[in-house]
Amino acid sequence: MRKTFTTRKLAIYGGMLLGFIMLESPLVMVANHVEPMVMGVPFLFVWNLGWWAFLTILFLIAYLTNWGSTTRGGMAVSSPKRDD
Amino acid sequence: MTGSILIIAAFMIIPLIVGLVSARQSQGTSEDFFVQGRAMGSVAVFFTVAATWWSAFAFLGSNATFYTSGPVYLTALAWNLLFGFMYYWIGKRVWFLGKRFNYLTPSDLMGDFYNSEALRILVAVITLVFTIPYLQIQLTGGAYLIEVASGGVIPFWLAALLFYFIIIVYVWVGGIRAIAWTDVIYGALLFFGMMYAGYYISNQVGGPTALFAQLASSSPAHLTMPGPNGNMGYSMWFSLFMIVAIGAFMGPQIWLRMYSVKSGRLFNLMPFLLGLAAFAYVGSVLTGYSGVLLEPGLENPDQVLPVMLMNYAPYLLASLIMAAGAAAAMSTANSQIHAVSTVVTMDIYQRYVNRHASQSRIVFIGRLSLVGFSLAAYIMALTVPGLLVTIGIAALAGTAQLIVPTIGAITWRRAHPMAAFWGLIGGIACVLWLTYGASVSNPLGLHAGIWGLIINSGLFVVLSLALERRDSDVVERFAKARQDYVAEYHPEQCDDEQTATPQTAQAR
Repeated sequence: MRKTFTTRKLAIYGGMLLGFIMLESPLVMVANHVEPMVMGVPFLFVWNLGWWAFLTILFLIAYLTNWGSTTRGGMAVSSPKRDD
Repeated sequence: MTGSILIIAAFMIIPLIVGLVSARQSQGTSEDFFVQGRAMGSVAVFFTVAATWWSAFAFLGSNATFYTSGPVYLTALAWNLLFGFMYYWIGKRVWFLGKRFNYLTPSDLMGDFYNSEALRILVAVITLVFTIPYLQIQLTGGAYLIEVASGGVIPFWLAALLFYFIIIVYVWVGGIRAIAWTDVIYGALLFFGMMYAGYYISNQVGGPTALFAQLASSSPAHLTMPGPNGNMGYSMWFSLFMIVAIGAFMGPQIWLRMYSVKSGRLFNLMPFLLGLAAFAYVGSVLTGYSGVLLEPGLENPDQVLPVMLMNYAPYLLASLIMAAGAAAAMSTANSQIHAVSTVVTMDIYQRYVNRHASQSRIVFIGRLSLVGFSLAAYIMALTVPGLLVTIGIAALAGTAQLIVPTIGAITWRRAHPMAAFWGLIGGIACVLWLTYGASVSNPLGLHAGIWGLIINSGLFVVLSLALERRDSDVVERFAKARQDYVAEYHPEQCDDEQTATPQTAQAR
């Protein structure tokens, strides 16, 4: 159980941390350019939209997996597979 | 002109009808009036949180910022995600404690956990003092839109007066239930308005791709930081991300929406929904940048959207989209007026003036407070000038300071009342000093609110580690509540929690 929980939760929270770092750390200045434009959109905008989409999808995955917890909606999941 | 007046009139009448209908379900208790009996469903919660969180600041201020300062407002994509994450991680815990200990205001939670009357009063004062300027910008933004949409037939002062009259009536009769119902309409109008306005206006210059190509050749500074004025670089990018998300999240109007939720599961979904909704800012990008090409040199940048709609869109469409902008303002203003009246009623009147007030008396005082705060915001809107975003961020920097003692209350046994009190005082003093202090420039270019948070957190942690709480019964009551929360929502952590608690107690 511990291994499953740790891996899933770490992946979710680690992914979120990565997304926020890419959007809000000084790394964003690396993308602070007009060129190369992607489909006519400046690179800074593409960078932001890309990481925004990544985080939004991750939030959906987090919801579907109950944020990496072994419960669903406050009810413990008693499935033996999850407790392995 | 007649058509636009009719749209404005319809827009003012619909909330009144919704408020009167919702009032039929009211139960006449303070819990029902202030937090809808803690039984708000998923659709209402999403729309009321989103519509409250997105304000005139977002609808008008975002366009104005892209227009004047370049891409710095693009950080809004990230601050919406941060807001959503906080709604899950902090909001769900606050909701759980609120339900267990019957809280209605931020001061209830802080005052109870820290067991301090001084802190309770300080939190109430901060929520009141820093919410009113933010309330003012809603009124200003909404009145701008109505003035422009009516072609000047309804002047600013009258538009603002009408605006608040409507809000007072339906909040008076229906409380937070009426607000939530109207916010469903407002929210839908707001998202439609932002996106469609951007799409429509950018088509006047050949569409989004042509817009960026023209801007890249004529004014490339608008497409990268620090923007055309050279003052909106990384430090402002990061400051906005932190201050706007945290400051809005700590506003009393959002606290009430944490307490009102029916089921804990809803908190798990909100980060995704709020993150997804942030896509509407693409509309603001297109509107603001189209303004750079089509209407350069506007005297008041906050009016870039209404001016371009009036100049480039059919009159009725322009009026409809401006009604959406007024929706943004109204949906935040109604919640703020309701929230500050809740604070005054519960934290001041019921606690210090009349402890044994009847339920009907409490609701009546809440309604009177609505009128008082509306009047104060109205006077400020007529007399205090300033850009929407500038005023908004100064107000948010103040409420943002509340996050430090809040995180302490939901996570840390050692969090000490003196640490919370002096941390808040230090943080607020820093914000005020850096904002209004003569000839002081913010170190590293970071916003005063960020420095306030750093000082606040430092004082909070150091004093909490140095001092020891003597009210162990209160500490244990909250530790038990936190354990119950973990047991219910994250049972896999129970072992850790149960083993950690005695160790922490031993260490102390």
